Amino acid sequence: MSIALAPEPTQSPPRRLTAAARAASAAVSLSVLVSFIVVVIVILWSLFPSLFTSYSAVAANPAEKFLGPGAQHWFGTDDLGRDEFARVVYGARSSVGTALVAVGIGLFAGGLIGLLAGFAGGWADAVLGRLVDTLLAIPGFLLAVVVVTGLGFTTLNAAIATGIASVAIFARLMRAETIKVRHSVFIESSYLQGGSAGYVLFRHVLPNAYRSVLALAVLQLGNAIIVIAALAFLGYGSPPPASDWGLLVAAGSTDATAPWLVYGPAIVIVVTVLSINRISRWLRKTS
Amino acid sequence: MTDLAIAAAAQPSAPEAGGWARGRPYLVYAAQRLAQAVVVILLAYVLSFVLITILPGNAIATTLASPQSGLSPAQIKNVENYYGVTKPIAVQLGLALSRFVRGQLGVSLVTRQTVTSLIGGALPYTLKLAGAALAIALVLAAVIAYGSQYLPGRWARSVLRSVPSLFLSVPNFIIGLLLIHYFSFQLHTFDVLNPDSPVGTFFAGLALGIPICAPLAEVLISNLDRESSQEYVLVARSRGLTQARLFARHLVKPSMLPAVTMAALIAGELMGGAIITEEVFGRNGIGSVMYQAVSDQDTPVLQGVVALAAVVFVVVNLIADLAAPLLDPRVRLGRGRRERAGGAS
Repeated sequence: MSIALAPEPTQSPPRRLTAAARAASAAVSLSVLVSFIVVVIVILWSLFPSLFTSYSAVAANPAEKFLGPGAQHWFGTDDLGRDEFARVVYGARSSVGTALVAVGIGLFAGGLIGLLAGFAGGWADAVLGRLVDTLLAIPGFLLAVVVVTGLGFTTLNAAIATGIASVAIFARLMRAETIKVRHSVFIESSYLQGGSAGYVLFRHVLPNAYRSVLALAVLQLGNAIIVIAALAFLGYGSPPPASDWGLLVAAGSTDATAPWLVYGPAIVIVVTVLSINRISRWLRKTS
Repeated sequence: MTDLAIAAAAQPSAPEAGGWARGRPYLVYAAQRLAQAVVVILLAYVLSFVLITILPGNAIATTLASPQSGLSPAQIKNVENYYGVTKPIAVQLGLALSRFVRGQLGVSLVTRQTVTSLIGGALPYTLKLAGAALAIALVLAAVIAYGSQYLPGRWARSVLRSVPSLFLSVPNFIIGLLLIHYFSFQLHTFDVLNPDSPVGTFFAGLALGIPICAPLAEVLISNLDRESSQEYVLVARSRGLTQARLFARHLVKPSMLPAVTMAALIAGELMGGAIITEEVFGRNGIGSVMYQAVSDQDTPVLQGVVALAAVVFVVVNLIADLAAPLLDPRVRLGRGRRERAGGAS
């Protein structure tokens, strides 16, 4: 096979262990490291916002309104003179914390459905399969909008809606993973040695499925941040003075003269999601 | 937003094509898929009904009773009878479902138009936007994928390969705002915000298309990587095919198969993204109808849009599934892709 590939200029397996390739693999782990640092900082923002900024996120200061970004105010100030960076930091809790809630809902409900469908098979699989097909047929964002409309406009409800919209994808992956494991020889032998269904489930099926489901959960976390920000952008999250990142972008976009009010939160959203996606990709590659 | 990417990442490899390849006659497979599609559409309607009716905080009755509705008591009575508001939920569901089967989606509580005409009036605008977005996404994805294979310089290729993950991480409302800010306010291309001009449609399509192009490009790249190491590529090259012809004739077509199975997800993504894009760019369409329905708590309209989205998704999915066996000669000959991929690795 490697001889057949030799004329292909873009692929050269024999050079895999050269210094250049080793440098490239080191660069990859560097980007993963940076991603982890970004995520840790954002998590710290949401836990201890007051450690990262001395400004208040809500107190107006009319003397300092519409200041551009600078040493005093990293992201500038808004129409009420509030420090935009402080608002982003204090908004982390409802932007990222709620995304964790969303992923938790999707992971738990979807994982349970997928596990049940894949492990029980037969009749249960058919019924749950149709349910998952149905959930998949409604575009995730539309489904989230419908659910948040029913529940009422708060950021937590937006997170619940986002979680419900992701149930089907978790269920499908969990089912596929469960079925893959269930038909393995070691499962059969575990049953033959007298293992109960519950024992096989917790000892063999879950440990084997968790890695790819974890990678999906991390990927879904980035997606949940985007969906919750989009819902907040449309005004379906908690109303001001809440400072969800999506809401900050929406509020900033009304003033064409102060573009930094969009740039600050937008850059934070993109860098956070980019980092989370990078970690997910790394998890998927190493699994 | 990145729903599409997530669904693509979590997709078990080409189950539909494999399902058919087990030796069933194609027509039986097609009939089964058709029946499944009808069931899923009906279930999706039931689900949207259940979500909207059972969730707390809203009901047709509260919307009607509010003084802003501007309806006389007799009219309210009329609408209540139409939806069977006072009857048990199961009866309401039965009524809604029997209307849905006959193609009726009810009447808007606010504008008193039928939901069908409301959606029908908005659909052409969204189709125009979605068509532009799809074209832009396909072209961008093809350019990125081609460049990732043939661009001179390893560094340039790897930069291009990281473009999709960047695109995935940018919400489309931010793309839209940045485009508007840069082109409309800085460069004074004022047509950006004019929904009727081609320029306006192009920029809105760009905002909607960029997040969609990312997973497409990723799938194309990974398939090109796999296909270009196949032996038939070597044969084609030895017969003197140029790179561009090889790409267009022998590489893109087999790589289209996974892209085609993503078609339904793309359609869903276009509809979901339309809400935001139309709002950001101030355009009319299904998205703005949905946005209005949410702020008015106009549940029949909301349910109509969801039903439309489900129908579009299921129909596109059905077409993709039925077309998939015809795209790749190896699948057509009845040998599953997975088996082949397993043998090659």
